[in-house]
Amino acid sequence: MSETKTALVIGGGIAGIEAALKIGQSGYKVLLVEVAESLGGVLEKLYNSYPRYENPADLIKYKVEQLNECPNITVMTQTKVISADQKPNSYLVKLQNKSEAKEVEVDAVVIATGSQMLDVTSHGEYGYGHYDNVVNSLEFEEILKEWATNKDKVTPPKTVAFFKCVGSRDRSKGYPYCSKICCMYTAKQAGVVKEMFPDTKCYVFYMDYRAAGREYEEFVRSVIEDKKVKYVRGRPAKVLPEDGRLLIRAEDTLRGMPIEVTADMVVLAAALEPSAGTKEMSNIFPVKTDKYGFIDYETNEVMKTGERIYYAGACSFAVESLGAMHQGGAAAAQVLALFNQEN
Amino acid sequence: MPSSTTPMTADFFKAIKLDEIDNSFQQELLDNCGIDLNTCLECGKCSGGCSNTHIFDITARQVVKLIKMGEVDSLLKMDSLWTCVSCQLCVDRCPASIDIPRIMDYLREVAYKNQIPATREQVLVFHELMLGHIEKGGRVEEGFLAMEFNLKTGDYFKDVFDPGMKMFFKGKVNPFTPKMKKRDETRRIFKMTSLRKG
Repeated sequence: MSETKTALVIGGGIAGIEAALKIGQSGYKVLLVEVAESLGGVLEKLYNSYPRYENPADLIKYKVEQLNECPNITVMTQTKVISADQKPNSYLVKLQNKSEAKEVEVDAVVIATGSQMLDVTSHGEYGYGHYDNVVNSLEFEEILKEWATNKDKVTPPKTVAFFKCVGSRDRSKGYPYCSKICCMYTAKQAGVVKEMFPDTKCYVFYMDYRAAGREYEEFVRSVIEDKKVKYVRGRPAKVLPEDGRLLIRAEDTLRGMPIEVTADMVVLAAALEPSAGTKEMSNIFPVKTDKYGFIDYETNEVMKTGERIYYAGACSFAVESLGAMHQGGAAAAQVLALFNQEN
Repeated sequence: MPSSTTPMTADFFKAIKLDEIDNSFQQELLDNCGIDLNTCLECGKCSGGCSNTHIFDITARQVVKLIKMGEVDSLLKMDSLWTCVSCQLCVDRCPASIDIPRIMDYLREVAYKNQIPATREQVLVFHELMLGHIEKGGRVEEGFLAMEFNLKTGDYFKDVFDPGMKMFFKGKVNPFTPKMKKRDETRRIFKMTSLRKG
């Protein structure tokens, strides 16, 4: 074996963690770079996961313990990738953390920079940013955490309304695609609210619910049938303030009648778009991107997007945590195959 | 539905207040018939396959939807209640196994109990006569049933020659149906469950 090869994993979410772990555990050097203070990415912000209501903090803790046990892996938090130079068989990457800049030579790169939620102020009719109780789904996860910790002190909301497809499947705003995971996390959030406060009414406004995955359909049905969350088919048109509450106007397209419901809180399941980090990385590295800015794949290749560049997780498209983890593993397999061939 | 003669100020599409919906009938169905309408996928397979949907004023799926929306009062006046022949095609095809004929039955019972007039009086007459036969003899005597029905409705020769006589000569209708044993058992069931007054 010649000199040990090094892989650079950009992004410390669950996809990046998994990729770094598998490469490191196989005996190669790994640099895991994360821009935030701690690892965990979006997963760390979540109250629980679907379809088994698991606590994502447990998963992150388990993975981080493994990371710490592996001597080959160097984790660098609060570090950014500034630039990259392509060499014949490697990349010369400049890293910047709070105090110093550093240049490293790496033999492969895994991009796992994830996605972010669309800024829903684009949908003025829902009043996000104007009304206090209109939040996006990621903010609602924080609220769920808060409710769970101060359950006795919180006055339960009488009604919570969930809007799906805010931005997604919306050509007028430039997001014609389905963001894939909103149906599931919305069902989960509504189910969690019902679990915490059984007297709270939950309405989910949907066009159709897309539950393609193992245990997914059963999960959504259980939320509707057992937890008694009301699903209303129709895209809400307007949110208006009414006596300190929020009046929602929509059409129940199955009944063919306009409907109104007064809610205390509106949760917007916003479209997912490539994160700022993903957009930066696609400028720095010679990767393929699609028209929305998501990392695109090379034909006939697994998790490969450019010369010695691989990707994992939501930077290529919206994906659930389990899928992101699988992709991390697959990207690691590609890196390992490349390294083994060259030794 | 709006027509050309209705005034333009009429409130046809006044918004339904979702949080004020009365779901007691849906609960009643669950308690009394064991039918959980929350399992409905709203796919419309029931209406699509319904043998009588061409003469329904609202389809089977809409019946379920109206119950879920708490609009039972208007539902009880609907024609579909009385045009449904309980052929069971809907429940046979329903992916959620929702027993729509049982719902229809239950709705007819409620309408009868609350003296809401049936849109098809003859259907009600037929129902009463047929159940009367079962109560009396434990089974239906088709010949007599047809005769009584014609006498009641005043259309004396309806179906008498064709197909009545044809069926008789082919041996399909027996005017003298043998009586059932243990008739008092069926009568007891009727006594326990009947909605009839007096």
